[in-house]
Formats: sequence, structure tokens, C-alpha cells
Amino acid sequence: MDRLIAIITSDDEAVRNTPLDAALEGLESNQLLQAAQSLDAFRRETTNLYHRVRALFFLSSIHRYSLPRLGRAPAFGHIPFRAYIQLLDRRFEESISILLNTAAADGPSEALSSALAAAYRGLAFQTLADQVRRSVRSISGNQWMFRCGHAADYPLRLHPDLLLRESSRFPILRETTPVRMDLSHSAWSDIFFLGMDYPEGARVLNISIDLAISGRGEPRPPVEAHLRVIDRPVLRLVSVDLNAQVELSAVAEVFDFAKDYLGLLKAAVIASGIVPPGMEGATAPLAPLLERLTGRPGHGLEIVSKVNDIPKGSRLAVSTNLLACLIAACMRATSQVSHLTGAMDEDDRRLVAARAILGEWLGGSGGGWQDSGGVWPGMKLIRGVQAQPADPEFGISRGCLLPRHELLSEDRVPPAVQKLLQDSLVLVHGGMAQDVGPILEMVTEKYLLRSAREWEARSEAVAILDQVLDRLAHADIRGIGSLTQRNFDSPIQTIIPWAGNHYTQLIINRAKAEFGPRFWGFWMLGGMAGGGMGFLFDPEIKPLAAIRIQQILSETKRELEGGVPFAMEPVVYDFRINPCGSWSELVPAGDALMPPAYYVLTAPALLRRESRSLTPAQRADLEHFGSRSRHGGEWAAAGSSLIDHLLPEAAHSRIASDSLDCLLESNGFDRLQHEQIRADMKSGRIGLAQNRLPARARITNVEPGELPGIDGVHSRFVAIGQDALAQGSVAAISLAGGAGSRWTRGAGVVKALNPFCRMAGRHRSFVEIHLAKSCKTSRPYPLPIPHVFTTSYMTQRPFEDTLARESSFGYQGPLHLSPGRSVGLRFIPMARDLRFAWEETPQQILDVQKQKVIESLRAGLIQWALAAGEASDYRDNQPLQCLHPTGHWFELPNMLRNGVLARLLDERPSLTTLLLHNIDTLGADIDPGLLGFHLDSGAAMTVEVIPRLLDDRGGGLARVDGRIRLVEGLALPDERIEFDLSFYNTGTMWIDIDRMLAAFSLTRAKLADHASVDAAVRDLAARMPSYVTLKDVKKRWGRGQEDIFPVAQFEKLWGDMTALPELDCRYVSVPRLRGQQLKDVAQLDGWVRDGSAAYVESLCDWDR
Amino acid sequence: MTIDKAVITAAGPSQRTLPLQHLIDRDGQDRTVLAILVEEASKAGMKEVAVIVHPGDESACASAAEGASVKLHFIPQTAGPGYARAIWSARDFTGADPFLHLVGDHLYVGSEPGACAARLIEVASRERCAVSAVQATHESLLPNYGAVGGQPLAGHTDLYSVDRVTEKPTPTLAERSLIVPGLRTGQYLCFFGMHVLTPTIMDVLDSLLASDPIPPPSISSALETLAARERLLALLMDARRYDLGVNYGLFMAQAALALNGRDRDEVLTRLVQLLAASPARKVNL
Repeated sequence: MDRLIAIITSDDEAVRNTPLDAALEGLESNQLLQAAQSLDAFRRETTNLYHRVRALFFLSSIHRYSLPRLGRAPAFGHIPFRAYIQLLDRRFEESISILLNTAAADGPSEALSSALAAAYRGLAFQTLADQVRRSVRSISGNQWMFRCGHAADYPLRLHPDLLLRESSRFPILRETTPVRMDLSHSAWSDIFFLGMDYPEGARVLNISIDLAISGRGEPRPPVEAHLRVIDRPVLRLVSVDLNAQVELSAVAEVFDFAKDYLGLLKAAVIASGIVPPGMEGATAPLAPLLERLTGRPGHGLEIVSKVNDIPKGSRLAVSTNLLACLIAACMRATSQVSHLTGAMDEDDRRLVAARAILGEWLGGSGGGWQDSGGVWPGMKLIRGVQAQPADPEFGISRGCLLPRHELLSEDRVPPAVQKLLQDSLVLVHGGMAQDVGPILEMVTEKYLLRSAREWEARSEAVAILDQVLDRLAHADIRGIGSLTQRNFDSPIQTIIPWAGNHYTQLIINRAKAEFGPRFWGFWMLGGMAGGGMGFLFDPEIKPLAAIRIQQILSETKRELEGGVPFAMEPVVYDFRINPCGSWSELVPAGDALMPPAYYVLTAPALLRRESRSLTPAQRADLEHFGSRSRHGGEWAAAGSSLIDHLLPEAAHSRIASDSLDCLLESNGFDRLQHEQIRADMKSGRIGLAQNRLPARARITNVEPGELPGIDGVHSRFVAIGQDALAQGSVAAISLAGGAGSRWTRGAGVVKALNPFCRMAGRHRSFVEIHLAKSCKTSRPYPLPIPHVFTTSYMTQRPFEDTLARESSFGYQGPLHLSPGRSVGLRFIPMARDLRFAWEETPQQILDVQKQKVIESLRAGLIQWALAAGEASDYRDNQPLQCLHPTGHWFELPNMLRNGVLARLLDERPSLTTLLLHNIDTLGADIDPGLLGFHLDSGAAMTVEVIPRLLDDRGGGLARVDGRIRLVEGLALPDERIEFDLSFYNTGTMWIDIDRMLAAFSLTRAKLADHASVDAAVRDLAARMPSYVTLKDVKKRWGRGQEDIFPVAQFEKLWGDMTALPELDCRYVSVPRLRGQQLKDVAQLDGWVRDGSAAYVESLCDWDR
Repeated sequence: MTIDKAVITAAGPSQRTLPLQHLIDRDGQDRTVLAILVEEASKAGMKEVAVIVHPGDESACASAAEGASVKLHFIPQTAGPGYARAIWSARDFTGADPFLHLVGDHLYVGSEPGACAARLIEVASRERCAVSAVQATHESLLPNYGAVGGQPLAGHTDLYSVDRVTEKPTPTLAERSLIVPGLRTGQYLCFFGMHVLTPTIMDVLDSLLASDPIPPPSISSALETLAARERLLALLMDARRYDLGVNYGLFMAQAALALNGRDRDEVLTRLVQLLAASPARKVNL
């Protein structure tokens, strides 16, 4: 459709900013498909990067939202497995071709559209990332590093002042850098893609600040880098705050980012050119390069990083500024920056910022273009720059990669503002450390689609920045507070609702309630709320407010931590605007000492060695440290800490171990079964590869025509269902025993309690939404629906606390928790299972640089599994993180064992049917038509399935050796089979209580006989397959640091009940809105945009 | 512009013995480096040559240059260390005249002795300005040389108008400010070790050295100032210069002389024999 191409290519801003939805309004599906065809041809032909990218996002949106919304195309369609594999390999073009050919041959379908949407979106982001990569490489001053591939061509030399030795020791270059906070980032306009396409709208007000945790001394630059020559031919990297150190002697080791915690230092070494990126892949040792660098055979370099009391996720761009700090030190040391000491000039700051961008790309992360703002002093306006003919970006993108930094002079910001701001702002870390990456992707996509509301919001954000500048000029901090609050409430959360969250909103509400008009406004720092945040107060009450905000944060965290992932305890900071930017000093060799914590970390290993094996510099350094630590102060404290580090931490480990054993004991841990599983894992009898059905099993598809659809059953059975509801014969069971690992990436909080989405004016959790649905369903009937949440050792307590605190969210019907009765202890995985998961099953390949990082990480994790002992108990974490639920098969039997079902039946003898569903199937409700269908069929169990789309992975409905049943993805002998299955299991099932009890050889009467119930459950469990699975578990340490480990556990799954020959199972196809599951936070935005959230909300009754 | 004076600097603490080293010249004669350099100047038409020496080295240098066909002056560098000071030491000798400057630790091998200096003097005389001889040099060698940035001079393929001069630039700086159109990627115009300088250079050095700065200024910073005051050109030489002060520098200079001289075939044969007799070694590239 030419209109869409005209929108993309128009020089008229008004036309170019037409929202896609407006352009597509009124089009029928055949017109949409024609439009998609024209766009696809256009994007293949156009040479303009942004035209291409915008066309790709348009295409993705048409397939993801516009076509399914019309509902004209058939839901079913065959997604070729080859297309899926190409998608995983990031070969998007090939994937698109296969999918379009299939669509041409078979006709369009929702399934194919889902795959095309993913492929176009992936290609759009890949195209953008490739362009940023090219731009980073083409910046003058960076290019030579990609050409230098051998030590013989190595052109850097160390600054001679760093070689002035004294008593075997060399001077230390010490760089300190502030971090940055944004008064406004004009709605994430610093994302490279935005800045390069819309430079006029890309503006950030950025302030460099020093920090100290409140009450712990004067604020100081939060990040430091130290660099010195050492008398060993190695590159020695030390991160004092991460307790990590390594000596590198080969070039290849420098490029192995994820092997240890020193990836940031390695990225700095490479981006600064000390080991140029052109040397990646070289097998050479480092010594020749270090010899050329230092001019001394047998000498090397030591680089030390230190972050002063700022945890991860601060939203203050700590890691980018630490990277910039390290790069600045390395570039000063090699004379690439003109001043060895003091501040840098503007050219050098820009160069360091460009290298920091390169470093971010190398390390597989990616900040905005203003994140390294700490390199500059004070307050500055950073703005996008239109590409000019001399720029490498000219003709490719409208803007340049690097922005321009404009320091705000006194005529624009009176000197008094600095103090006024310091006197008003309470700066905090709220304790949450979330990945801002998905948010940045959402922002990019919405920008390119120009959705009307979001585009208006962006314009508002741009205007707010001008207003903030105006208020700064008038030293009106109160006005600024009102603007930052408006910025957060309106444009930011209009564009990305997920930038705010329940926790943040509660804190703001509480601050408002307590301080009224003397609370001037909330200020979101960085990309999202929950971590670094600001609260502006009337200066008169600021000291009190700082104390109270700390209390409010801590209280609110305690209240929510069952369902909200916190990485650390919230803290309040003292801060000061930094007037220097990144600053360096050279400590002469005679006085040169690393920070005290450096010696606590590094000295134990040296002290355990024979003193004659120490190099002269090491010996001299230790002597100097010893001498200094006798003088008291922080050096003496370091001496004491050193003694502690020399001794093992036996006591602490024993306490953790005791606590884990108590938990196992109290949660019904079956040690015999555990040992059997360990033996089976070790012997290879069970494992990821052994989860699969035998290859001889005949698995075929259940064709769409073989199942009734909801349209066909609904009208006939509504009356039956309504009658059953009127008689009080149905209860809802929400399965909530699992942690929802994907939701929080193994953070160990309860997904069911996570207030993830704003509905009817406030954030609601899964539990609240399910209860609101039961409330609405109950409304027309005399008896309210009983609702049961199954829990586990992990979720029981948080559920109890939350329901008590929230008065069961006002639910009037019977509400029960069904606590788990089984628990497993996680295992260190078998290396062969890790390899199977990562090497033999199709894996999502990441962006080139990220993929390198993850491959390095995986190699490290396999080594970890081997070193820690394959199939040994996983105990090296918080006790709760070492346990695992044993799969949702047990959740219904648990209701038999813990008496909840008996209690339900006592309360409501008319109860005959259970609706069982996963906590994340938000569209599932007690629909009278489906209930009637189930009752009329007389089946023991009716399973709801949906037509499969691309993301519906993990098994489905199949005919196995002639019997229709659910098959878990884990059990499929070949991944290809899944792509032949038309239906995906929603996990929602209607269960006839008496027939189900019969399958357990039980009756209602026997439920009181615990021994019989236990025996019945054990007998049926023995007939169910056990799957070995890998789960990601977070281990938290340090200040907000998190590691993710893959651990092995076993589980039994309820879907396998459909394989029991004696259980009469039926299947019904339901709409996607009802059956889809919300597994991942990254799905949320699409879930709102495609109408799913509105559908769920329409099922709810909040007025209780 | 008449140029008939030359200044050779040979006073650097690490290079003061280099001009005294003996090499076999193109004609198969055993001669010192200094004698070869003086011959280069002489064949280019210089009438007087000043050699700036370390105090006390005068007689050794005089005997090394014995038999020269020009008038020699040996000027001790007494004012302090540094290359710029070495040139400044010759201010009485050069007076108000332009002069040719050669460095004592380089050897120049062109089509014939004196050809390099002669070409430089020809250009300087024609253009009536200071001219530095330069050579396209790979970025890995930047730590050894001063480098210039500028634009090609219209109508010439080997002349550049200089607007930036930097001593031993990092590749980062070079890439940002010393890229010259027409050169291959990663190549820069680095000094050849031979300049024709106008008297203004002594004024520039006067002001640069007035405050006795530490570290002492380089000739590059003096040339950058010179370029701001008057026209400075760079002449791209097709000859080769050999830095005697680096590892194997003398060896390479000797090989270059021999391979460009009378005994080329004999030396080449011996080199091939040497190569054939050397045990094979894995080269780690």
C-alpha cells in the first residue's frame, strides 16, 4: 500500500509522524496483506536504513496486531520448522522468505503471521544494531584499533611518567569519575536508534554527581580506576567491589568476557586500545604486546576498578561510567588523552565517550548515548546532532551516533541552583535491580510506529525538558519537582506503563500522604523506576524527609517482597554535584598504594606463597601496605579484614546448611527418592535426553476439524453451565506452587503475588485478577464460587501474608490455600545435560557480541558443574533457592492429602467440578458454555487447547500410538514434531471430582482416610513419568549483584494424566485470549496492545 | 631563496655515538655515518655544515668527518637537553639564512648520494618557504616519529600544505587529526629526518625555550608554531630513511646501502646463502 510507503519516505514531518494504526484504519484483511506485500518489496529495495527499519516495524505490527485483530485469517497454519530454526539463528531474511513462500502456498494464517511478526521485528532490531556497530567502528579515532591484529603492529606506548620506578614499585594513575542522573531524558531519547533518527528530539538534561550512603561520610566520585606497571609480563585485572581478580597472559583471555566477573575491565582494556579489538581471535601471548607497551621486557600492567557503595541497578549509569573511567585511565596512560592528570578537554571527553560506547557493545550490553555523562562536569544538556556531509553517518541516518554535550553556564543555571537542588532532593536506591533492556526495545518500536498516544507523550516529554530548563534558570526547584512528577505520571508511563510499578507508586503515594504540599515531586532516574529514584522536598523538611523516606522504602519493601523481586535493602544517598567530571592524579611510586580493599582481596594469596617467589614489586607493595596499616584509620581496618579473609568462613556456611536441612525436613523431603534420582542421573538412566518418548512412538497431529471449538459448543451448553453454577457445583483451582522462574529469572519471589499490571486504577497481581474473575462469575448466582490457590514451601507464607494484609482482596466466597506436601532438593546439573540443552536442542542465537558472551558464560558454567560435582546437592545459595517444587502433577493430589478437597466438599457438598488452571492463564474463567460442554460430555477431564502460534512452545495435543493426549515438549523425541501439532495446551482443565477420585482409586468418603489417600497418590505418581529439567536460579551477592546458575531438578506434570487409559479425557479449542499464558515480563506490552489485557479486565469485577 | 648551510644534530645522549659508527658506503668505502651525512649535504650544494655535538665530542666527530669537502663547524650543545635546543644551538651559525637540517641518527638512501637533500632544497628554493621531508609510514611506527597533517598542494602529487604537526602521535590522535587525503588507510606522513627551515624557526625556538619548559619542547611543537606563522610544506620523498637508533637500525641501513651500491650482487648472494643456511623457524603471525 503506497500510503504506508509515503508515510515512511515523506519529507513532511506531519505525514511522517502519521500513526500506523490511523493509516491502517478501515482496511480489510486482503488490503492489509497487500500493504504488507508492498512494504516487504519496499524494504528490500530501499537503501535508506531508517526507511528499511520503519518498514520492518510496520510489517511486524501488521502481522502481530492488525491482522489478528480482524480475525479473518484462519487461526491454524503450519509454521515450517526450518523457518523457526532460521529465526533462532538470527537468519531473519531466510526465515521471512520461507514463511512468505508458505503463506503463498497454504494461504495466510494467524500462525504464520505470528512467525512473520517475530521475524520482521528481529530483523528490524538486527538492522539497527548492525548500524550502531558500524557507526561505532567508523568514528575516527576508533578505526585503527580494528586494523591492529598483531603485536608487531602495536602502536601504543605507555606514558613515560608511569615508568618512573622507585624501590621496585611504579607510580599509580588514579582516575575518579562521578555518575550521572537525568533531570529528563525526553522519554528515553538517548537510545541510539532514536538519537540517530530523530536528533532534534533527542535531548537529555544530565547532572554529574558524587555520592555517599547517607551518614557514611562526604559524597565522593562513586567510581575509581587505578593503573600501574607491574614487574610481571601479564595483564592483571582486579575488581575490588566484585572481589574478583585475574592475571591474563594470552590475548584470547582478554576477549573471554563472561569467564569471570571482570568483563567490564576487559571491555575497557579492549576499547581503550591497550589490547585492540582487531586482535580478537589471535592465539598470541600478551607478553610481546606488553613489552612494546611498557618498553620493558618482563613487565605488564595492573588495572583495578572500585565502585564506592553503589549497588547494581542504581539507574545512575554506574557501569557505563565505570567503563568510561577505566577507559579514560587507560587512554591517559597511553597518551591517547592529552592530559595525564587533571580534567580532560572536550575532545578527549568525546573520545572517551565514544570508546565507552564501543566498550558497551563489546561487552554485549548497551547504554544510552548520554550514560557516560559522568565524564563531563556539572550540569549539561546533551543533544542529538544532525549528520553533516563530513560525518560517517551522513546519508545513512539523520543523526550522528555521538551527541553534543553543552555544559550549562551560569547564565542558564544560577550557581544557587546546585545548593538548592542538594537541599531538596532525597536520592535513593529503592532496592530493585531490573533489566531495562526490554523497555528500551519497546520504546524504539513505539517510536518507529508513531502510535498516536505515545507520539503525543513523546512531544510532551520534549516540551517538559524545555520547561525544566526554564525552571532551572529561575532556580525554581519546586517547579522542577512538579515537572519531574508530571514527566513520570504522564509521558513516561503513557509510552511505557512498565517504567513504573506498584512499589514505586506506593512510595509516592505514601510520601504525598505524609508530606502533602511539602513533597514537591517524584523524579525517575534512568530508564525505569524501582532502583535509583529521587524525591524533591521543601528544603526545610528535607532532613526529616530523608529519614522517613528510608523508613517508607524499607517498610514497603518488607510488605511487597513476597511478590516483588528486590535485589537489596533500599538506601538513601547524600550527593553533591561534581564540578570536575572525570579526574586523574598520578601518585608517585614512593607513595603509591592501591585502595585498602585491594589488599584485603589480593594479599591473602600472596601471603600464602613463599616470600622468595614474590616479585620485588609485590614484596615492596606488601611492605608498604603493612607499614601504612600500622598508622590506623581505614588502612588499619583493612589489616584486620585481611586477617578475616585468611580464615575460612566455616561458621556462616554451617548456619546456612542447618537452615536448609530444617526446611527439607519440614516440607516432606523424600531422601530415598532423592538418592534414587541422583543415582539415575549419574548413571544416565534419567536426564534431559531421557525425558523423551521412545523414538518408536507414533506421534501425529490432531487436525483442527477433529475438535469442537467454543463457537460450536457455547450456545448449546450455556444453560447447563448456568444451572451448575446456580447449584454451586463448581470451584476454581489456581496452580500457584511454582515460583514462575521466567517471570523474575529465578529471583525466588512469588509470581502470583507480583503486582504487574495496572487495572482499574492500580497495580494488580495474578491472584487479585483471578479472584476478581471469580467474583464476577459468582455475581448472578446465590452461592459464591470457592477458589483455591495451591501453594508450596516457597509460596505458602507470602500468600498467607498477602491475603491477610489485603483482606483476601475483598473476596467474599470460600477461599483456601492448598499447601504443598512435597519438595525436592536441587542438583548441580550433569555436564551432559547442560551440553544437551545448549548444544543439541535449538537455541536462540543472540546478537553477535552477546552470543560470544553467552558462549563464554556457558563454557564457564559447564566447568562449574564439573568442579562442584555433577548430580551433587545444590546447597550454595539461600536455602529457599536450593529447594524446588516437584511439578504441578502433585498440586491436585496435595489437595487430597492436605484435606483441602475434603474441606471444600464438606462446605459445599454440591461440588462436582473443578476448573484447574495455571496462575498465568489470566483469561481462564468459569465460562458457563464450556462448563456445560464438559458436564454434558460426561468426561472425567476436559482440556482446553488453543491453535498454536510461534511462541507456544512446550508440547501440545497429539495422537500418540492412536490415543489423543497431551504431550509435554520435554517428551517429544524430535523438536520438529511440535511444529506439526495444531493445538497447544493451555493448562486449563475441567475436572469431574468423582471420576478423578476414581482414577486415584478413591471416593469422597475415603478422603478422610489419610493412609489410603497417601497410598493412592503414591501409586498413581509411580505411573507418571519424571522429567529432569534445568532451571535458572539466581544467587545474590555483594551489592545487588546476581549470578544465574542452571540447576537440575525433577518434576511430574499434570498433562500426563491424559495418557491414563482409564481417564476419559475430552478436548476443546478455545480462543487465544482465553487460553494464552503470560510467562515473561517481556510479553506484557504486546499483551496490552493486542487487547488481551482489556479482555481480562472485562472478566473482572473489582467492586467487592 | 639561497640555501647553502646545513645543521646536523648529533648531541642526543642516546644517539651521540651513532654518527661515529662505521658503514660500508655505496662505493664500497668504509666511512662513518657522519661522513655519509656530510656528503649528502655537500652533494646538495651546501657550503658550510654545523654539527651539533655533545660537549666534549667535538674532536671525535671532527675525526669521523675527516676529508669532508665542505667547511665544518662543531657546536657543543651547552644550553640544556632536547632536540629543539640542539637546533637552537646553531642560531649563531645560521643567522638570518634558511638552512638544511639533517638528524644524525638517520641515514638517507635515495637514487644517488645527495639526491634526497637536493630534491628538498630544490622545492624549498622554488616555493620559498620551509619544507619538511616526509614519508608515508604505517601507524604501528608512529611512536618513533613526528607526523604532519595537511592538504595536498594543488598541481603537485608530492607536496602538502602542513596545518598540524605532532610529535610521536598516538594512532587515535593521528586518525582524528592527521589523516591526509590520498594515503592508504593506516598510513601517515611522518618526518623523514630532513628539513629546510627558515630563520623564523629560531624565533619560535626563542619563545618556546624562554620559560625553560620541562619536558623540553620537541621540534614538532616548534614546527607547528612555525606553520601557524608562515607557510610550511611537506615533501613526500620516494627515497628511504633508516633510523639507526632502533634495534637492527644500523644493520638495516648497512643492508640498504649495500643493496643500492656497487656490491649489490655480492651482498645479495651472501644474504640468500645466509637465508638458505638458517634453520627454519615457525613464525608466529
